[in-house]
Amino acid sequence: MGIMRIGHASLRVMDMAAALKHYEKVLGMKKTMEDKHGNVYLKCWDEWDKFSVILTPSDQAGLNHVAYKVEKDSDLDELKKKVEAYGIKTAMLEEGTLPSMGRMLQFNLPSGHEMRLYAMKEYVGTEVGIDNPDPWPDNITGAGAHWLDHCLLMCELNPETGINKVAENTKFMTDVLDFFLTEQVVVGPNGAIQAATWMARTTTPHDIAFVGGPRMGLHHIAFFLDSWNDILKSADVMAKTKTRIDVAPTRHGITRGETIYFFDPSGNRNETFAGLGYLAQRDRPVTTWDESHLGSGIFYHTGDLVPSFTEVYT
Amino acid sequence: MFLDTRPKVPVHVTQTDETFPCAHDESLLQGMLRLGRKGIPVGCVNGGCGVCKVHILEGQTHPLGPVSRAHVSAEEETQGFTLACRVAPVTAIRLEVTGKFEKPFRKGFAATANA
Repeated sequence: MGIMRIGHASLRVMDMAAALKHYEKVLGMKKTMEDKHGNVYLKCWDEWDKFSVILTPSDQAGLNHVAYKVEKDSDLDELKKKVEAYGIKTAMLEEGTLPSMGRMLQFNLPSGHEMRLYAMKEYVGTEVGIDNPDPWPDNITGAGAHWLDHCLLMCELNPETGINKVAENTKFMTDVLDFFLTEQVVVGPNGAIQAATWMARTTTPHDIAFVGGPRMGLHHIAFFLDSWNDILKSADVMAKTKTRIDVAPTRHGITRGETIYFFDPSGNRNETFAGLGYLAQRDRPVTTWDESHLGSGIFYHTGDLVPSFTEVYT
Repeated sequence: MFLDTRPKVPVHVTQTDETFPCAHDESLLQGMLRLGRKGIPVGCVNGGCGVCKVHILEGQTHPLGPVSRAHVSAEEETQGFTLACRVAPVTAIRLEVTGKFEKPFRKGFAATANA
């Protein structure tokens, strides 16, 4: 079957105590492990594998790598061949390279972002278990995020020099990793420049997204919530914890997601995001947004682009 | 404006020739944001994105948290470069904005900065 879903994101943080407090008290994650290098591992209450976020001490913010889980261990060998046949170098990191994990296939996307694929991560179970479970546990804190849902990576886009890593990534993800395109933004004469794409492996509108910018980086990692009311509550949590909100609760035209954006204490952008949007399917026609409707695509209600949202990332 | 009795010092932004009062226990950026003023670009307000990079030309500040080395090198820090979201004023401040949102300071912006 190949890739199932996003597995974890490894983030650089500049103040570990502040970062841990943020991911625990604001998102509602729980620390599950710390390794000898000082990396801290966390999971959401509804996730069954041991972690979905790794915090790494650093002197700067940003993404170290993003990992996706494949169904079978043999998928890693098949995908290694496909990635290399495409002309991208890979490395197979042995079991135990990261604690509680099996081997990982490591490579860089055309945009330069490090991606890792894996089949095994220690199973620890959700907070409600599998035997006659309640719909939610009693020990939820903060926003009570269910799971890490997707990430948005900023990719170099420079029409003057002909560099478009959004288009390169989208082709690679389609041809090699078998993602499918759900939505895109096209700009320039006749919409010739593919400036942003949303891609899926699951039945949600995006498991990964790429947006063009002056340099590569991390725009955000997103966590799933059930409903619009949960979005309001998460905004309340952010007010109570003096968390810097980037974009107050609103809806995206693109993906139809109900959303709030905020920053962790190192400036890495987080999103809590609710709603299915729509049922993403391989035969669903691709939705296209043009330059003149870009504002509505991003912020459906106002249609106004917000500089801190569109131009700031780590 | 609502009454705020905290002692404050003036922060002067050279490009826009604007001055706003900032308390000693808030960052230069928070002081500006709290008043709804503009002049310094606002990004993550947590020291990571670098858009509020400033050069302190006069005055003393004290640090409030780590500043990303991706945006302010150790050498730059000794020359007075920092991020406005990560320092609070000790004395009156005169600064120059050097962050990435330089475009708001192009012709026409200064006139609307107080709007």
